[in-house]
Amino acid sequence: MKKLELMAPAGNFECFMAAIQGGADSIYFGIEQLNMRARATMNFTLDDLSEIARIANEHNVRTYITLNTIIYDHDISLMKRIVDEAKNCGITAIIASDQAVISYASSQKMEVHISTQLNITNAETVRFYSHFADVMVLSRELSLTQVKKISDEIKRDEIKGPSGNLVELELFGHGALCMAVSGKCFLSLHTANASANRGACVQNCRRSYKVIDLEDGHELEIDNEYIMSPKDLCTIDFLDQVIEAGVEVLKIEGRGKAADYVKTVVSNYREAIDSYYEGSYTKEKTEQWMENIKTVYNRGFWGGYYLGQELGEWTDAPGSKATQKKIFLGRGSNYFSKIGVAEFKIETHSLSVGDKVLITGPTTGVIETEVLELHGANGPISSAKKGEMCSFQVSEVVRPSDKLYKLVATEVKDAVHV
Amino acid sequence: MSKGKANVTIIHQRDKCIGCHYCVEFAPERWRMSKKDGKSVLLGGKEKKGFWTVKVQPSEIEENKKAANACPVNIIQVRE
Repeated sequence: MKKLELMAPAGNFECFMAAIQGGADSIYFGIEQLNMRARATMNFTLDDLSEIARIANEHNVRTYITLNTIIYDHDISLMKRIVDEAKNCGITAIIASDQAVISYASSQKMEVHISTQLNITNAETVRFYSHFADVMVLSRELSLTQVKKISDEIKRDEIKGPSGNLVELELFGHGALCMAVSGKCFLSLHTANASANRGACVQNCRRSYKVIDLEDGHELEIDNEYIMSPKDLCTIDFLDQVIEAGVEVLKIEGRGKAADYVKTVVSNYREAIDSYYEGSYTKEKTEQWMENIKTVYNRGFWGGYYLGQELGEWTDAPGSKATQKKIFLGRGSNYFSKIGVAEFKIETHSLSVGDKVLITGPTTGVIETEVLELHGANGPISSAKKGEMCSFQVSEVVRPSDKLYKLVATEVKDAVHV
Repeated sequence: MSKGKANVTIIHQRDKCIGCHYCVEFAPERWRMSKKDGKSVLLGGKEKKGFWTVKVQPSEIEENKKAANACPVNIIQVRE
């Protein structure tokens, strides 16, 4: 049995390195505007492809390009260039939903993965796309029982992809969920002309709403204003069931998220997956992983539809319920590798001995550490203020212009519902 | 198109275009989709630091304002 592949998102090089540090087996990302996070400024360009491939090779991770928006005629040339360049650079596969992309990539003998945008919900559809694709993301709205049925059918009927191997099933394991059936939402298009299916979703569903009876003007009392904003998906507490349903690739959502998010979520799922195969996947560990994951951006967690819940669970907060937040302090200026000390310029707020800090950068990825001793220009100091230079021990290399953050606990009114 | 006094400026921050085609729908005389990179092109525009600008006749205001309004990533401006 193949070990579950852990697939991580990356919106920039910082996140890409964070995913590697977290222990991802594969990383997916967007190039230019033809992907579901086109609105985000965080997208790679065609020129970045060779560097991405180089880093990925060095760390032995697979790379997937999301080329999964709907495609217009004027996009065809760019789409082909992305596929050609991906093939030249040795990118592993293209994640596609539009038939134009599926057809072109497969004609170029580029590995194709079917995006969640195509909402595969049955084995017949798997059979259909098996002419073009080796990996298929299943619809996030299926239950694990349904997933298992599809997986069993692939094995029983030996449904193979172009590579000659059995088609592999991929499942969204963690992160933001759509209020609509994935990829079938027009809210953003109707209110802001911004089509979610071109990667421009304005996320109307994340706002709070009132319900007013237009006939008599009465406002309905609803106990939660965020009536369209689902909690985030989390499967770490039933990962054993996910694996046993026959899933081969577990995808973490979040190409718009920060590097520390990627590292935290990926590393905890890494541990969970490894524990499962070592036979040490326990409830106690699960609880700890959930606590760890709660420190970064989240809207509260639920298990999605995989366990057969009747209806969605809605968040009760406008944004994140993360138990920790990071405050930007300044940038790296020097690293003394012989003594393992990094020097920073504090540009805002202050840094004190005992603070937990986060250092991020495109080559550095994410380093989390604690300030045990702090040095100023004239020796040890207890804190460094805005405008001051300071240095402290960091065991890993810090590069100039790496960003320094302080981690502080956020006050969460309610414990995050699990 | 450049006869008479042209005191209306259209500005386009092209890098951020996601190629939705709305501007071409509303003001087809002024916008075209590039077949090269799938982003829209401001016809007659000159580039400076990522911003493309062109001066046009007042008669073009209405349709280009519609294009600016419709742009999902707000990268079109019509200045009078």
